[in-house]
Amino acid sequence: MTAEHPALALRGLAKQFDGKVAVAGVDLAVPAGSFYGLLGPNGAGKTTTLSMAVGLLRPDAGAAWVLGHDVWADPVGAKQLLGVMPDGVRLFDRLSGAELLAYHGLLRGMDPAVVDQRAAELLDVLALGDAGRTLVVDYSAGMKKKIGLACALLHGPRLLVLDEPFEAVDPVSAALIRDILQRYVIGGGTVVFSSHVMEVVERLCSHVAILAAGTIKRVGTLGEVRGDRSLEQVFVEVVGGRTATGEELAWLSR
Amino acid sequence: MAVAVSAPTTPAAPPRRVSARHFVRLKLRVMGNNFRGQGWRIALFVAGSLVGLWFAATGFVLFAAPGLSGEGRYALMVAAFGGGVTVLGWLLLPLVFFGVDETLDPARFALLPLPRRTLVTGLFTAALVSVPAVAVLLALLGLVVTAAALGGWSAALVAVVGVLAGLLLCVAAARAVTSAFATMLRSRRVRDLAAVLLALTAALLGPLQLVGVAALRETDWDRLSGVAEVVGWTPFGAPWTAGIDVAEGRVWAAPVKLLITALAIAALLAWWSRSLESAMVGAASAGPAPARRGATGASVAELFPRALGWVRRDRFGALVAREARYWWRDARRRANLITVAVVGIFVPVMVNLGGSGFTVGQGQGFSAPDTSSPVLVSVSMLFVGVLAAVTLANQFGFDGSAYAAHVVAGVPGQQELRARMTAFSIYVLPMLGVVSVVLAVVLGEPGWIGMMVGSLVATYGAGLAVNTFVSVLGAYSLPETSNPFALNSGAGVAKSFLTLLSMLISAVAAVPMVVAAALLGDVWLWLALPVGTAYGLGAALLGAYLAGDVLDRRQPELLATVTPRR
Repeated sequence: MTAEHPALALRGLAKQFDGKVAVAGVDLAVPAGSFYGLLGPNGAGKTTTLSMAVGLLRPDAGAAWVLGHDVWADPVGAKQLLGVMPDGVRLFDRLSGAELLAYHGLLRGMDPAVVDQRAAELLDVLALGDAGRTLVVDYSAGMKKKIGLACALLHGPRLLVLDEPFEAVDPVSAALIRDILQRYVIGGGTVVFSSHVMEVVERLCSHVAILAAGTIKRVGTLGEVRGDRSLEQVFVEVVGGRTATGEELAWLSR
Repeated sequence: MAVAVSAPTTPAAPPRRVSARHFVRLKLRVMGNNFRGQGWRIALFVAGSLVGLWFAATGFVLFAAPGLSGEGRYALMVAAFGGGVTVLGWLLLPLVFFGVDETLDPARFALLPLPRRTLVTGLFTAALVSVPAVAVLLALLGLVVTAAALGGWSAALVAVVGVLAGLLLCVAAARAVTSAFATMLRSRRVRDLAAVLLALTAALLGPLQLVGVAALRETDWDRLSGVAEVVGWTPFGAPWTAGIDVAEGRVWAAPVKLLITALAIAALLAWWSRSLESAMVGAASAGPAPARRGATGASVAELFPRALGWVRRDRFGALVAREARYWWRDARRRANLITVAVVGIFVPVMVNLGGSGFTVGQGQGFSAPDTSSPVLVSVSMLFVGVLAAVTLANQFGFDGSAYAAHVVAGVPGQQELRARMTAFSIYVLPMLGVVSVVLAVVLGEPGWIGMMVGSLVATYGAGLAVNTFVSVLGAYSLPETSNPFALNSGAGVAKSFLTLLSMLISAVAAVPMVVAAALLGDVWLWLALPVGTAYGLGAALLGAYLAGDVLDRRQPELLATVTPRR
């Protein structure tokens, strides 16, 4: 059945906050086995869209399916296939890394022995074993991202939704995360992640969607979207940025 | 801040002085923005203000009564005791129930080039702008009426100064104590010390109540006015009695008492200012954390505390284990837990030793028996059980956005709520047992233990059921500061209102236990344990069953309400 359904399908997702439109009808079809980048400037609605797609935020209108399971009508079926790393959301950070992984595994209804084995492996691969019993609250930003990723991967989901996985991560950890995600996609998984770092997206993604002001502006494979230009040029043109003329902020230079 | 972009020619303009006025305006603005588009918040604020006004009016009449009725001999007593209780309330209530309104979080000012003096004055002035402060001011202005009636305009004038100084004292005390206490709790090493400190503070309630009760019982006015005179010379009573002193002809006392008050305020502000600095720095960085080494082979075994070895290694077990760890590791939860433990032991002992004092306070006249009775014990047990359960009223707020993990994993609501109750009960049930034994020993009535435990468990269980609903429907976000007593901007009034409401409903749900104690007599001493346990357990399970359904339907909405600053 996974062959017929897209890994993630969004139809007409919309959300307002206090009368202010955050997302104005997003349609998206993420093919299974793709590495999908959701691009957009700050405040474009990336986090809102992904939150609605994974069941963290109830949409005003529209629907979302994970491998054919309606996220809002059949949450149990959808959430089993789904691994999520939200951005700007705290972990249960008064636990140590190992405790946190065990907690997530058991919450997912996994067998304790499997949890132990996978947790040890993940901590080892993500170089978090050295932290020992340090509480996650005392981790550095990069370590927090890594333990968050480990929590999302632990139960072996078919679809991984990551909000800003490379934000505030040092190059070494970023390379490690990239490596793990690429292996996951080669192994048949699907990754959807949001970012505003062009190089990462160009290096990793097979598909790209550009979101601005709550709507999808460009969508397709990386080649289709960028054409013969660089992704950054396309992005700035779509989003519409302004360039400094050198007149303003003159008082900054002495 | 409007930066003058167009004025590059005056880069060296001296910065303008920041005064307390800016802090007050900032606070009002933050409060106003907080209400924007949130009808229920405005409604709760209005309701809270009305309750505050009602208290203010009652207090005003009470404090003005000696003057209006011409009963001058009670004036000093009313001022000293009423005012003293007010100060004590400001000192203790933020710790026990309500927390302090951190609309202006000191940590936010850490990077601004403000002298500490400016900061303390500013935050202090802003703290004066609140419903409780205004209510207390209105209530105590009744003293001015009394002073004016007894001693003319000069006494009234001194009374006005005294009342204003007293209000400053109250607010300074509340700020200093919570700030210092928060700093202490943050450091894991001194948390035990903090527990002792809270115990001592709560113990202050004891002597005061005993004195009051003894005096009331014997109606010995001479002794009582002697005590009032002494209290009048402490910071607790000094600001309030200054005006009365002038009215009664002791003009020399007024300046001395005002000086005592001023010194107390200065000391409190200095204390606050010291702990404020660590609050500002502490929020920015907790310092480098030492890597705690340890074997990380068996993650699952690590998650479960040793005391929870018997819990099954499944979803329910994991929830219980994590909650149990959090009640100790999270400073905010720990503060709640310690408070419940201390108050839970002290209040029933005081109430029952004090006997009739409590019922007099309840306005039932002097008909109560001299010694404690099963009914009185049941009532005090009701208080302890309700207080313990109300700790869970915002259990999801403690988690904050971390609750997203449960939403993503699709944790069933009923299982989640049962697990949360179980974990909290692991701490509370032994504590309730200790309360019963201590009380039975103190009263010398070992035969009452069964009844006490029964009433406690029944109230606690009913309270759990009520507060589970409150926690699902009335959750609110807590700021992510390190101050375990901090509340979100402007939410203080609304939240204390909600807390009081849920305590009231819980108490009503447990009233059958008190009625049974009153009607059944000695039989109840034996029946209470099984009946109470069954009642409490049944209520808790029913609450989890019903509220779990609600939770299943509104998981994302709950997550949105407990996430700070959307």
